[in-house]
Amino acid sequence: MNRFDQPSYRAMLRSVRKPARYTGGELHAVDKNRFFFKKDQDLRVHFALCFPDLYEIGMSNLAIQILYAILNRDDDTYCERCFAPDFDMRGYLRERGLPLTSLESGTPLSDFDMVGMSLQYELSYTAVLEMLDLGGIPLLAAKRDEADPIVIAGGPITCNPEPMAPFFDAILLGDGEEALPEIIEALKSKKRNALTRREFLTSIAGIEGLYIPSLYDVAYLEDGRVKGIHPIDPAAPPRVKKRLVRDLDRASMPLEPVVPNMEVIHDRMVMEVLRGCARGCRFCQAGFTYRPLRERSQETLVRTAGRLIENTGYEEMGLLSLSTTDYSQLEDLVLALLPMTEPRHINLSLPSLRLDAFDFNLAKEIAKTRRAGLTFAPEAGTQRLRDVINKNISEEEMLDAAETAFLNGWDRLKLYFMLGLPTETDQDVNGIVTLVRKLIAVWDHLPRESRSKRLKVTVSTSFFIPKPFTPFQWAQQITPDEMAAKQEQLAAGLRDRRVSFTWNTFESARLEGVLSRGDRRLAAVIRRAWETGAYLDAWHEHFQADLWQDALELIPGGADFYTRGRQPQEVFPWEHLDVGVSRDYLQSEWNKSKKGEVTPSCYDRCSACGCQDFKAGLCPGVLP
Amino acid sequence: MMKRRILLFYERRDAAAWLAHLDMMRLFERSLSRADWPLSWTVDAFNPRPEIVFGLPAGVGIETRKDPLEVRLAPEGQLFEPDAALLRLNLSFPAGVRVTGWQETDSGSPSLMARVRAAQYRLEAEGIGSAFSRTFAGGPVEVVQERKKRRIPVDLATRVFSSQVLGENCLSLMGGAGSTGHLRIDLLLEALVLYGGLRREAAQGASVVRLAVFLDGHGAGQGIIT
Repeated sequence: MNRFDQPSYRAMLRSVRKPARYTGGELHAVDKNRFFFKKDQDLRVHFALCFPDLYEIGMSNLAIQILYAILNRDDDTYCERCFAPDFDMRGYLRERGLPLTSLESGTPLSDFDMVGMSLQYELSYTAVLEMLDLGGIPLLAAKRDEADPIVIAGGPITCNPEPMAPFFDAILLGDGEEALPEIIEALKSKKRNALTRREFLTSIAGIEGLYIPSLYDVAYLEDGRVKGIHPIDPAAPPRVKKRLVRDLDRASMPLEPVVPNMEVIHDRMVMEVLRGCARGCRFCQAGFTYRPLRERSQETLVRTAGRLIENTGYEEMGLLSLSTTDYSQLEDLVLALLPMTEPRHINLSLPSLRLDAFDFNLAKEIAKTRRAGLTFAPEAGTQRLRDVINKNISEEEMLDAAETAFLNGWDRLKLYFMLGLPTETDQDVNGIVTLVRKLIAVWDHLPRESRSKRLKVTVSTSFFIPKPFTPFQWAQQITPDEMAAKQEQLAAGLRDRRVSFTWNTFESARLEGVLSRGDRRLAAVIRRAWETGAYLDAWHEHFQADLWQDALELIPGGADFYTRGRQPQEVFPWEHLDVGVSRDYLQSEWNKSKKGEVTPSCYDRCSACGCQDFKAGLCPGVLP
Repeated sequence: MMKRRILLFYERRDAAAWLAHLDMMRLFERSLSRADWPLSWTVDAFNPRPEIVFGLPAGVGIETRKDPLEVRLAPEGQLFEPDAALLRLNLSFPAGVRVTGWQETDSGSPSLMARVRAAQYRLEAEGIGSAFSRTFAGGPVEVVQERKKRRIPVDLATRVFSSQVLGENCLSLMGGAGSTGHLRIDLLLEALVLYGGLRREAAQGASVVRLAVFLDGHGAGQGIIT
């Protein structure tokens, strides 16, 4: 029976805000309901692709679209989607003892063969627990039996999955496009051969990029630091190396992505032009963990764009990467795309632009359809600190770029900065104020007839969070008191009617700092916080700092233990994981940062970070 | 050159019935784009949009069977043939949405929204027949409508033009629609709970189908559309 014909289903939808989050039925959503469930149980794999945040966030994520398309190509696999319910739906389900179900067929999570969680940010961890629990799946991998689904995780923050390790049966490091179908095939084999859960997990421990937490033991020193992490099963490799798609141009891009019926955060078609980054900004985790830099060819992208335009009807096309202006054929690509997008009133959006590489002639072409504001990320207010973080942009370049932008009609400027970076002083914070004033002065000195009428500058700051697999993984995170002081200092300096100042909260930044460099002991903390009410913590309005503070009392030293600076030789909780960049290289970058020495980008010179061993992308001998 | 106006009638079912009005607008914009209809665009340079007008926004949870919306075609649309384009359009919708017919509107005709007068509904819920009979027994049926933080008393009896109880669990009615005297179905269900003894759970689980929207007879000799 069609679930929309059931009064109880309609009553549920009428009880919540934005019911379209839960109904499915979008364009290109896969519907295998009529034939999949008639297949032999042992020959099919039912996979729940889960995103631990609301629908509108999850459906903005390209990885979800990629994996959904890849897995559903196989007739014997049915990949369905499931997102975290908002508070109202969660309450409705809990009050009535109803399970969390998938969008496509309404199947409870506990009935799937495999449940895959996409981990994009640390503050989504409690939503993972909520989804598992609401879905009827035991939280701890060790408590699951043969009837329970295999629960796996993937996504950018799995480079240190240790705080969540006890909740997952398996964790994928790196790119998922090739690894996930291999895991599915292994699962089919498990079902055919009636392997036990344990036998299955041991059998997949050899798949490149796959980490089975239960096959490793963590030893701690008396003070709580990690002493060592070692495999306890011969099938588990001592170090798990991330999975890498070597030829991005051949990697699948969804040509018929699911087009949400309701508005989502990034409501546009997306083409990933680059993966990885050559720049080496020392605070940026993605910049190191996605190395080496790989490109898609212009031909592939133009061909894909044509299909996406035909198949989606979106009003905007985003060229996605960590640094889009680094794409080697950007001008040619944009000039090839504009004749496709302009007649259909499609706005071409290029996020992640670098100030030093920005070509205004190109920008003017793009802005013919809709002129958005310009966004730049200097990250730090002084040259000294920009050298420390290896953000190689000079003040002169910024002022020149701003002048060109103003003369070309732009009048909205958004600037991103970080507060609390290693070695930061009051002078550096004041440097942000000085830089913003200089940018405004550029505007003021231009003849009125040569620029727009009114300037609007938005200064957006976030607090620096030391992340694993970056040169700053050894750094100390500043305290909430220090955060407050820096923020006040900046707010006082930025008082100007043309400037608006936005920031993130101290407590959530501190928690992210704790979780991102955390160890397995934090699993109990995450569970305690969730049990006492923490949920959807990335949402400012839902974040409850006191719950986390209480839960962190389970750890001697609390949050301070995790936000502290690390000893040079200290064993990290992620020491058994390998993203390609060597510890020695990161250590040398950490040392150079303290001396304010910069490192050239991979375009200029190979710094032998370790990723050259992948022999892929930009690394020597592979691309000219 | 005058822009051609094409009046379309659409139905929405299942998941599509749970979309908010802005989502429906976006859904049609994208579907028409995919189907390559030569739409006219507003001249607003900052945020241009295709010219699409819905006759009567459908509330969340209301299925439709013959709701009107109108599109304006760009000047190059003079030779546009809607019959063939309709097939293309119906292939481009997500599941549950379909255009069932079209008419050309006189270019001088009033706007579509201004022409909406009434709507026909079929409601199904456990006990809705007797709840309706008890509630609409001849006297006024007052409920409070909240609008822009104001609480406005409304007599629903004046907004129900005709009705037929089709059984204990089914009801058909015609009510006012459009800018004046609009019958809101959520308020009607609330009244049936308050005055007719309809269980709240039954009201929440009700099936609401808008069978038709009635327009006034201005222009093109179309008369009332049923």
